[in-house]
Amino acid sequence: MSLTGKTAIVTGAGTGIGRGIALELARRGVKVAIHYNASEAGALETQRLIGQFGGDSFTVQADVADLEQISRMIESAAAELGGSIDILVNNAALQLNTEWFNYTEDQFDRVMNVNLKGYWQCMQAVIPYMKHKGFGRIINISSIHGKRPTDFDAVYCMTKGAIKMLGRESAIELAPFGITVNTIAPGAIDVGKYIKAHRQPNPKKFPLGRVGLPSDVASLVCYIASDETSFLTGATIRLDGAGTLV
Amino acid sequence: MSNQTVFITDADSESGKALIAKFSSSGANLLLNSLRNSSDWAHELNALKSNGAKAFVANVNLCSSQELAAMLDAADTEIGAIDVMIHNQSVSRRASVESCEESSFFEVMQSNAKSAFFCTQTVGKRMAARGSGSIIYVSSIHSEKPTGSAFLYSASQGAVKMLAHEAALFLGRQGIRVNVIELGPVEGTGASFSSEISGLYDNYQYKVPSGSLGTYEDLAELSYFLSQDEARYVNGADIRLDGGFLMHYMDFRMKKPAVGEEPTP
Repeated sequence: MSLTGKTAIVTGAGTGIGRGIALELARRGVKVAIHYNASEAGALETQRLIGQFGGDSFTVQADVADLEQISRMIESAAAELGGSIDILVNNAALQLNTEWFNYTEDQFDRVMNVNLKGYWQCMQAVIPYMKHKGFGRIINISSIHGKRPTDFDAVYCMTKGAIKMLGRESAIELAPFGITVNTIAPGAIDVGKYIKAHRQPNPKKFPLGRVGLPSDVASLVCYIASDETSFLTGATIRLDGAGTLV
Repeated sequence: MSNQTVFITDADSESGKALIAKFSSSGANLLLNSLRNSSDWAHELNALKSNGAKAFVANVNLCSSQELAAMLDAADTEIGAIDVMIHNQSVSRRASVESCEESSFFEVMQSNAKSAFFCTQTVGKRMAARGSGSIIYVSSIHSEKPTGSAFLYSASQGAVKMLAHEAALFLGRQGIRVNVIELGPVEGTGASFSSEISGLYDNYQYKVPSGSLGTYEDLAELSYFLSQDEARYVNGADIRLDGGFLMHYMDFRMKKPAVGEEPTP
């Protein structure tokens, strides 16, 4: 399906899943704002990769834990995108792998502010543009850990449980404006840093015989972003190769 | 449950009062977190003591590990170590995703979710050292069902639900059971989440299939069961306590009273 002429912002697009999403949107004709916080080199690399196939993109920087930085970022992205933001992909999230009893209040606040408050406030910032156009696709990247525990980061897991409800509430609130809100819950995705142990996946853990790839998430994002999904909203789509079923 | 010690947060709420009544009548010692002064509790505390229960009233910031630890140290010498924790926080603000202010985010998330984490961390560490305990979160059906009027409340309860699942796994290895009660509408709460975009609470009292709303006493009974050894295999469970309210979706089949029988408002 073609997404030619649409505009998007993808948060956390300097690495991993976010980069995969930005690349695929751009490949299908979307002009993409590549957000990063600390991964400037990564964001520029995403932009370079998009340029290789003639796609159109640019980078924007913000710490999404900070409302003022979000406002500034969305404003400048919208200006560069010709005053329109059709698609928001909330993807920038933190995972600390900190054991329960060692979690500090500062760590709790940081994870909550990036993973939950940041998602919500990025949504708030793009809603006026989407309302103006009567069209919007908000896609929140969550995790299977919105449903099952992580066993390594309880606060990360809390934010994913909260994002599920943020998606459901905003779906019914924003429906009258032609804005859909959906959540993707990926399982293990090969982004290099987490899952060396899974490179030769145990079929009892991964029925398809492989872990997911950023491009798997990106394909689903592109489908949800299209005009073909106007009745799909408030959904959480588990994308884990049935990994959580075994 | 004599000699057990139960920590109940938000003791001032209606749910808190029902929990206090149930556990004290069963002979439990109580650690209560309350915004009221200890002196304001004199009358209730005397009543508790007549049941043979001991009580300790505190007023601490439930998001502060330091304040929680100091409270537990002080309570420990007076009423003993905590066997049961009931996190009973339910702050809600009407808020739309589009226009809500950041201050409401902090208020609701701190009250309901951040406090749940730090209470669990601080109390759970002590329970783990003793190898036993029961933790109960009083949550809501809105950890799954949107309200259409209070998204922060729903998000906070979604967070508590996943906290409970993590805790059931992590603390479960230390002999602690962790469960969630997802409470629906009960008598006396009114249509707390009435909404212009969701009809869920329109005529909500008739959407409970039996036609009869529950009470906070029902909450206290279930909490008591979960605190007991009889519930030793109940861990990581989300128990919906709503009389079947969320099963309802065909309004024309509501169990409304016949004309003439409607209760006066």
